[in-house]
Amino acid sequence: MNPNIVETINVAREVAWLPWAVQYFFLIGLSYGAYLLSLPGVVFRRPGWAGISRLALLGALVCGLAAPVALLADLHQPGRFWHFYAYFTPTSWMSWGAFFIPVYLGGLLTYAWLAFRPDLARHAQSGGKLSGLANVLAYGGHDSRGALKAAALLAFVGAALVALYTGAEVAVVQARPLWNTPLLPLQFFVTAFAGAVGLALLFNRFSVRDQAANRRMAGVLAATQVVALAVGALWLALGLSGVSPVHAQALAEVGPSANWQFSAAWAVTATVLTLLLAWKWPGSGLLIGLLALHSAWMMRWSIFIGGQEVPKTGAGYYTYSLPLGPEGLMGIVGTAGLWVFLFVLITTLLPLDRLAAGDTDKAAA
Amino acid sequence: MKEALETPPCAAPASASRRNFLRGVPVVTAAAVAVPTPAIASTAKHQWAMLIDVRKCIGCQACTVSCIQENAVPEGSFRTVVSTYSVKLTDSAQPAGTYVLPRLCNHCDNPPCIPVCPVSATYKREDGIVAVDGDRCVGCAYCVQACPYDARFINHDTGKADKCTFCAHRVDAGLLPACVETCVGGARIFGDISDPEGELARRLKETQPQLKVLKPELDTAPRVFYIGLDERFTGKVEGQGTLWKPRSLPHA
Ligand code: SF4
Ligand code: SF4
Repeated sequence: MNPNIVETINVAREVAWLPWAVQYFFLIGLSYGAYLLSLPGVVFRRPGWAGISRLALLGALVCGLAAPVALLADLHQPGRFWHFYAYFTPTSWMSWGAFFIPVYLGGLLTYAWLAFRPDLARHAQSGGKLSGLANVLAYGGHDSRGALKAAALLAFVGAALVALYTGAEVAVVQARPLWNTPLLPLQFFVTAFAGAVGLALLFNRFSVRDQAANRRMAGVLAATQVVALAVGALWLALGLSGVSPVHAQALAEVGPSANWQFSAAWAVTATVLTLLLAWKWPGSGLLIGLLALHSAWMMRWSIFIGGQEVPKTGAGYYTYSLPLGPEGLMGIVGTAGLWVFLFVLITTLLPLDRLAAGDTDKAAA
Repeated sequence: MKEALETPPCAAPASASRRNFLRGVPVVTAAAVAVPTPAIASTAKHQWAMLIDVRKCIGCQACTVSCIQENAVPEGSFRTVVSTYSVKLTDSAQPAGTYVLPRLCNHCDNPPCIPVCPVSATYKREDGIVAVDGDRCVGCAYCVQACPYDARFINHDTGKADKCTFCAHRVDAGLLPACVETCVGGARIFGDISDPEGELARRLKETQPQLKVLKPELDTAPRVFYIGLDERFTGKVEGQGTLWKPRSLPHA
């Protein structure tokens, strides 16, 4: 900071991507991360993965259904969402995203339906809550492997496109040096996947408490934290060495701020702690699960809200305080409420214990 | 009222030669900007631009106020403002001097706000004015993020992207932008860069060595030129943050 210049009058621009946007990027990231975690057990039938993957698929579904609502709410003209489809603009990543989201969700919903059909039929037979609805949804309850693999492939293409566009959309914004780094999409991806492992760990903890599954997930989580730390270190090295001008600019933008130094220290501490716990004390499923989810959310909050606190022309930083209404806290509470509603609804039809028990025969027993 | 202020696209296309000419201007160099060479064509459309002589600005904010009045800008938001800085002087007995810098949308010739718009609601008119089609804008604020000059904001009354339009509704009616009309120091000169006889083109030519634009390194090719722009203020200002902020309002 130059002590010789004091800004006395200027505009303080408000945050224009609201907490709704943070929720969207958080939920859609968890969803595609959890989708990936569903593959080894559900599609590839790797031994020991069935329960993990089926819980992960549930997570992908709940987060994937809640995410677009948050996205829509972040528009200041939500009723005009159809303009995205009427006025496609190929130069805009956001415009592409409007087409990628339905590909992903279409694939995911079909894949999840095909994967859970036998379970729905079983629930209908057991005569539990909403068994009539389960019966309709099961639609015969067949296990169609070929169709399931095709749907999983479509969802994979969609997930890859969503991961690409959500990263690129932010990383191309040259006007915000903090966002404008090629490593940002990778950082989004790694934290999203780690958060998804965290979510599956929580589901396991609150259902069958399968220790073997817990250990397996702890191992995966530890690996994600190593990657997250490596990418973070690379970001810092590129910034400090000046090898990459965009990273140097990003660092220069936030480096001098005490708030940002605190955020960075917090992120590193949380990541190292998660790594150590997952590695040395893999039984701590609840704690490491919560830590991973917290890191994924905090990363997005810092990037989006913190990033918008940096003036593009003015001196110093803007200060954001969370409004209590729909532009602030309600965005967070509202999406959390929607998530809980979807979770309760889906787990009524597909109880956690039954999903966590792994293969359907075991669940039926 | 806001709807009436949104600018329609220009109907008549510019001639090919004019378009080619315009593609080349204004050319930005590291230190100064080259004066656009006026093209002489009787069928020419106007190409609007602004020159701000910082040396003449007295920081009175008459432009800020007249813009708010003219364009019904909601309280707490601004399409233009005169950023004001207190600068410590090393070569004077005086403790500090004041530096003022009028800011507005630069109506860039290479505007980063346009390609990001997912519904093509932000566009450049044939006369160079960068405008928002209020009937199409979804209020996604991607353009707000992409503008390197913090020139855009979401208007809480309309739920759409908002920014300076060079008062297109006035310009189309043959009037000057409100800020130019009210400028007490005569610091803002608005005109047609393609009219060689016009005051703007003449002044740009005369003052060419001193001409600067904001953030020239981004190649946005602004159409707002400055005379007397101090190097320390061309980008993000290194200094102590603003002491005065507009009252933030609770928005429903
Ligand atoms: S100053 Fe900003 S809003 Fe105006 S044209 Fe340039 S990029 Fe777009
Ligand atoms: S806020 Fe409006 S003008 Fe800006 S990018 Fe979104 S749709 Fe386009």
